[in-house]
Amino acid sequence: MKLCIIGFGAVGMGVSRVISMKREMLIDKYDLDINVVAVTDRSGAAINPDGLDIGMLIETKENSGKISDYPEYGVSDLSGVQVLEEVDYDLLVEVTPTNIEDGEPARTHMLKAMKASKDVVTSNKGPLSLRFSELIDAANSTNAYFKYEASVGGAMPIINFAHDTLAGNNISSVLGILNGTCNYILSRMANEGSPYLQTLNEAQELGIAETDPTQDVEGIDAACKIVILANSVLNMDVSLKDVQVEGISRITPESIELAKKEGFLIKLIGEASYDNLEVYPRLVREGSPFAVDGTLNVATVKTDLADEVTVVGKGAGSIETASAILSDIISIWKARS
Amino acid sequence: MRLNLVLELLDVPGQLLDALNPIGKLGANIVAVIHQRDVKTERGTVPVHISIEGDEETLKRVLHTIEETDVQIIEVDGVVRKEKITTILIGNIVDQDLKETVNVLNGMDGVRVADLNLKMSDNPEESSSRIIIESDYGRKKALMQNIKEFGKSKGFLVINEV
Repeated sequence: MKLCIIGFGAVGMGVSRVISMKREMLIDKYDLDINVVAVTDRSGAAINPDGLDIGMLIETKENSGKISDYPEYGVSDLSGVQVLEEVDYDLLVEVTPTNIEDGEPARTHMLKAMKASKDVVTSNKGPLSLRFSELIDAANSTNAYFKYEASVGGAMPIINFAHDTLAGNNISSVLGILNGTCNYILSRMANEGSPYLQTLNEAQELGIAETDPTQDVEGIDAACKIVILANSVLNMDVSLKDVQVEGISRITPESIELAKKEGFLIKLIGEASYDNLEVYPRLVREGSPFAVDGTLNVATVKTDLADEVTVVGKGAGSIETASAILSDIISIWKARS
Repeated sequence: MRLNLVLELLDVPGQLLDALNPIGKLGANIVAVIHQRDVKTERGTVPVHISIEGDEETLKRVLHTIEETDVQIIEVDGVVRKEKITTILIGNIVDQDLKETVNVLNGMDGVRVADLNLKMSDNPEESSSRIIIESDYGRKKALMQNIKEFGKSKGFLVINEV
């Protein structure tokens, strides 16, 4: 299988690491030999129809920060779109940074690949939360496979879990903690009694929160995931503007203390159901499935046959997210062969 | 032993039968049914008074079975069933009139504020209050939505139960 990876940040590098780690297993178990034929980042691309060396890709990116410095096969000033036009590939891994304004350039990359009947795997929430139906329609019109497990909850299985494992069930809602940064901050505030800003600063120093934490702490990231879940699991047709969003920046140590005395914790909970789409701080019972600490993500799926099913897992991280992407690649491979 | 229940039925055909069926099936004896369709609650539902007889185990099973259907049991032996709802409000509740907040909540259908805890912060905008409300059975979801809307109008952050 010839792979084109657009975007070579933490997730893109994670994907290539995982492919190299699992190379023999993939060949033995699935007869799947993955060849990375093109990788792009802001600087340009590295292209080799016979397959790029993954060790060299990572070394190049770590040393110079530019994939275009890849020896012999590096090209500078080549855009993702140009690469998709020129390179012969089977599957696009779209892992450029999430853009929640217009979903670009990821949207264009994905549509271009789908139009050419190429399969697409992504972790990119931007286009999924803004133009979900457009992407699904584009994939369907050319019989391309489109999978995006990594876009919600990182390594925590939820989308394929709802579609495949819970097949036959009617799903009425998905509730969950979908942002690890917020959960880390709220857990620390509950355990230490520390104020919000101090805890946010600490999380930034540890690299858990980004320098500009707005998308995480104001609930926007979780809202994108709620949109994806509503569209893909509940078959709704909604976008980001349909979600009521409130973040965690107004949460105080006093409110957490008051909650604790009644046996509750405050968590940022996303809810996708037919009558409610929201991301809001909510009270959850101590000892309940939602009472997870640290950067963990959790989701409870409510179904008619299986009742409630809860999954927990790591919501972020380069290798963890790559795990979800790899499982999508394998399932497309299985479906194709 | 005998149990007097008040059930709340939707005013649609078949509801009364659905409610009575499990009682007989489980071996309890129906002593009386008072069903007046023209007496309605504020929610448009019809209250039905039912007296049933049976041994303790059977009556327990009956209650359990009715609870699993769409029929609400609102009273058992003259005692109105209540649900406890905890909510936390963050905001300048003292300046925004604490008394009015409690009055508004108490004014909602079937609601009583049972407990209120206030924790002041250095910044009055960030004061927290935990309110525990007792409400009639089955009203929780609607009530939480009402509280959220009320909170929004006052500029409070409302943290409801999941």
